[in-house]
Amino acid sequence: MHLLRRIAMSLAISVFLMAPAHAQDASLQDILQTHAEEIADPSRRTVGETLDALVATGHPDLPEFLTRWQSREAWQRDADGLFVYIEDEDADPLVLLDISTGETVGEAGSREVTQLRPNGGVRRVIGGALVQFQLGAEDPAARLDALEAIGNDPDESHLPLIEARLEVEEDPAIHARLDVLLPALLIAFAEDDADRVAAIQTLDGNVSLDARATLNRVLATRRFVGAELPADTNVAAILSPGTGPLPRDEAYAMLVSAELAPARISREDQRAVLAANVVEGRVGGVPVATLNTEAARDTAYAALVAEGLAEPIPTEADVDAALAAHVFFDAYSEPSSIVTEAARATLDNIETRVGAYRFFDLSLDGISLASIYFLAAIGLAITFGVMGVINMAHGEFIMIGAYTGYVVQTLIADYTLSIAVALPLAFLVTFALGVLMERSVIRWLYHRPLETLLATFGISIALQQIVRQIFGTQARPFTPPDWLAGSVTINDVISISSIRIAIFLLGVIFFIALWLILNRTRLGLEVRAVTQNPAMAASMGINPDRINMLTFGLGSGIAGIAGVAIGLFAQVVPDMGSNYIVQSFMTVVVGGVGNVFGTLVGASMIGGLQKSIEWFNPTNTLAAQTYMILFVILFIQFRPRGIIALRGRAAGD
Amino acid sequence: MSIFTQNRSVRIFIGILVLFTLGVTVMSEAYGTGAISVSFTKVLGMTLCLCLAALAMDLVWGYCGILSLGHFAFFGLGGYGIGMWLMTARTEAVVRANLAGGVIPPTEAEVSQATALQIFSVVGAEDWPWMWAASDSLFLSLVLIVAVPGLLALVFGWLAFRSRVTGVYLSILTQAMTLALSLYLFQNDTGLRGNNGLSGLQNIPGAEAIGQDRISIWFFWASAVALGLAYVAAAWLISSKFGNIIRGIRDDEQRVRFLGYRVESYKLFVFTLTGILCGIAGALYYPQAGIINPDEIAPIASIYLAVWVAIGGRGRLYGAVIGAAVVSLLSTYFTGGRAPDIALGAFRIEWVDWWPVLLGLGFVLVTLFAPKGLGGLVDYVVRKDRA
Repeated sequence: MHLLRRIAMSLAISVFLMAPAHAQDASLQDILQTHAEEIADPSRRTVGETLDALVATGHPDLPEFLTRWQSREAWQRDADGLFVYIEDEDADPLVLLDISTGETVGEAGSREVTQLRPNGGVRRVIGGALVQFQLGAEDPAARLDALEAIGNDPDESHLPLIEARLEVEEDPAIHARLDVLLPALLIAFAEDDADRVAAIQTLDGNVSLDARATLNRVLATRRFVGAELPADTNVAAILSPGTGPLPRDEAYAMLVSAELAPARISREDQRAVLAANVVEGRVGGVPVATLNTEAARDTAYAALVAEGLAEPIPTEADVDAALAAHVFFDAYSEPSSIVTEAARATLDNIETRVGAYRFFDLSLDGISLASIYFLAAIGLAITFGVMGVINMAHGEFIMIGAYTGYVVQTLIADYTLSIAVALPLAFLVTFALGVLMERSVIRWLYHRPLETLLATFGISIALQQIVRQIFGTQARPFTPPDWLAGSVTINDVISISSIRIAIFLLGVIFFIALWLILNRTRLGLEVRAVTQNPAMAASMGINPDRINMLTFGLGSGIAGIAGVAIGLFAQVVPDMGSNYIVQSFMTVVVGGVGNVFGTLVGASMIGGLQKSIEWFNPTNTLAAQTYMILFVILFIQFRPRGIIALRGRAAGD
Repeated sequence: MSIFTQNRSVRIFIGILVLFTLGVTVMSEAYGTGAISVSFTKVLGMTLCLCLAALAMDLVWGYCGILSLGHFAFFGLGGYGIGMWLMTARTEAVVRANLAGGVIPPTEAEVSQATALQIFSVVGAEDWPWMWAASDSLFLSLVLIVAVPGLLALVFGWLAFRSRVTGVYLSILTQAMTLALSLYLFQNDTGLRGNNGLSGLQNIPGAEAIGQDRISIWFFWASAVALGLAYVAAAWLISSKFGNIIRGIRDDEQRVRFLGYRVESYKLFVFTLTGILCGIAGALYYPQAGIINPDEIAPIASIYLAVWVAIGGRGRLYGAVIGAAVVSLLSTYFTGGRAPDIALGAFRIEWVDWWPVLLGLGFVLVTLFAPKGLGGLVDYVVRKDRA
């Protein structure tokens, strides 16, 4: 017995496995011809078997044929029963095309061929077979398309197909889609409420947009008004007019459109009625010229009503009475309250989780914005924070760094390589510019900090204009390489672009490097010595001129590197620097001058703060910036020396 | 009026201002030969307003040592203050004219509604924002032109000086203030028409029959009077004991504090007073400019104000006026496209493009080599003819 079954099974399997192989050799025409009768004149009851047989062959040309057959675009030649497509239905004679190769197989008059015209029932069955075909497609994209199509136009017949597919699907993205689609179909088509509730509960914790949309569909409501609450509706909420989601005017408008109350007349309509009833310069006995107050108009209108020339306006009391006499409510389209309650509970759970993810996503955004501020400000942390020089041209060093990146990219085609070249080159260019500026201008002004501000401002507008002369005002393309262009997506809520991760890493590297330079090297020691007390440093054998020059160059060079990074996501235009200059100064001041760690804290605070304000009003980043600056202004009142204030001798005065 | 006898610069300045005003009037289109066009009259009037703002900047920076990089915010607030009234009154007149054609005369509510729609439809709103509450009254608007910049300066100054924010930190803080204000105004939903700003301000309500030629010269006179009065008042202030104290604060704040003066109060008074002066200057400036938008308040405008004072020579009132007049008129000349280009063979120097470079390098040179600014030249001449 066992043996027999085994043999039978292995036979069956081998037949199953071999069948497609055979089918590949046979042309689709041959296969179709074996079922010619059923295809030419299909019936709703028997076509299923035929389709199963066809699908079992797995022939590659079959989907095309099924699609055409379903949409009545396939024909049969009367003479020999050959199945064909037709090039142009209106042509005469008709040109017949082969169903596999698409080549012309002959011509025929319109009476020599018969169109295959499956009826509605048959077409649905064909559609089911087609979906099955697409769901089993080799190409994951095609499978996803099929799922998309089902999602848009679900049908009960899809249910077993989806269930079957879920068992064997290996692609994680498609599997995730199936995980939502199956409950969606169950919710829509399962007979038993308990099954539907179970399906809803399988969505618990699924934060994907599809899952949320599915549940929201279950919870879709419509607003009704009636004399009393109907017994058989699934009521979502009873609304009281004039509060929350239902303003008084809107509620009354609902009554009017349901013809449960007379319309109220707006001031505009009243005016039109009055204008239509002017008799000898008077309306209802009131002279037209005096109708420039609402009271006069009401009097005139009342007179018209008394004469029967106008509709009476319901008074406020009438309106209140009408509103009180009716009940307003939102009702679910879904009749079963068990299902809607389950969906509500599940959706609430999901929303809580989404909220947590959003918060995490916002934190990522905040960190990334903080890294941008940090990167923009870190050069200033040295020139302004450590040396005390107000360099208004700092933004222009950032801009020049970005343009260096652009120029390198025009010379080196490989994006990755060009960035690798641009980073050190931008440092060199801006380092040289910084040293030049320090030697020629700033060193004469160390004892006059406010005038440094004016001189560097002059340099800033000159540099901006020179760049504008060379490169023009329009934005220059500076494109990140592919590996930086995408984004890392964790789920439908959390995603972050790769370039922001790169900027964060760059910020971390800068921070560590600068901290090491300032605190662990000879140069850093000398820099700190010179900034604290130049005369004493000089008498210890340090050359303050040289140190100042190098420090300023270092700060400028770092601004150049930051410019390359910023240029990768922001627009490279001549005045891009001015977008960063005020924020950068604020970052340094808030953090506390004189140490790199302060700048890090300042940038984190400003970036985090701005994103948290955006949380309350995500569409308005300008407002977030405004309030962030106001906060900074207030913050400085309480900690004038910044978050990390230097103490003792290091603080200078 | 002992100020005239005490201070020679006041006499000379007022004399020059009167002569200049008379000269412009005689050459104007409305009252004279027409040698100066209406638009150039407006440029001159606007320049006088900028001189007034520079004068205020000189008081607060040159005499009191507070380098504010936010005084143009007060200037802009004054402009918005007068602009709201001008725009409301003007639009209301137009709306009334339109509605008068109907069968039924309009009610006040309808006029107000239609006016609001006309003004705010550009930012997708149709109701009056709260800050326009005073815009239908000229008197209240004039009060606000003084009160709003004054109050902002008072509150900001009180916060900043109380916690001893000084020097470059104060500069950065004032810069943040003006940036915050301009970002706030840039938003469409904050009630001042976002980046569209206020426009049509050259049309004075109730003066439709009077041509721009006469209005332009009237505003020129008003600006000249305001500048003259402010100059005399400032000269009186700085020649008093008060002036000595604020100069003391500039030179050594700590020492003045130890002498028993309330340094913060003095600074706050100067900061607020100059804020109000800038507000008045703005209120006179923008009806001549015809349009105001948040760009005007961008931080760079306030830096320019400081640069004018530096170029003119700070710590002397006429220096600020000279600096503002020279730099802004030269900028108008060179960027207006009327300056002749210089051809250098294949290369051609176009002033519109190269003027900012020249200006920027000019700032550097003045800071490095002429810390006293153009006003220093006056010293040179004056000392020479005394010797």
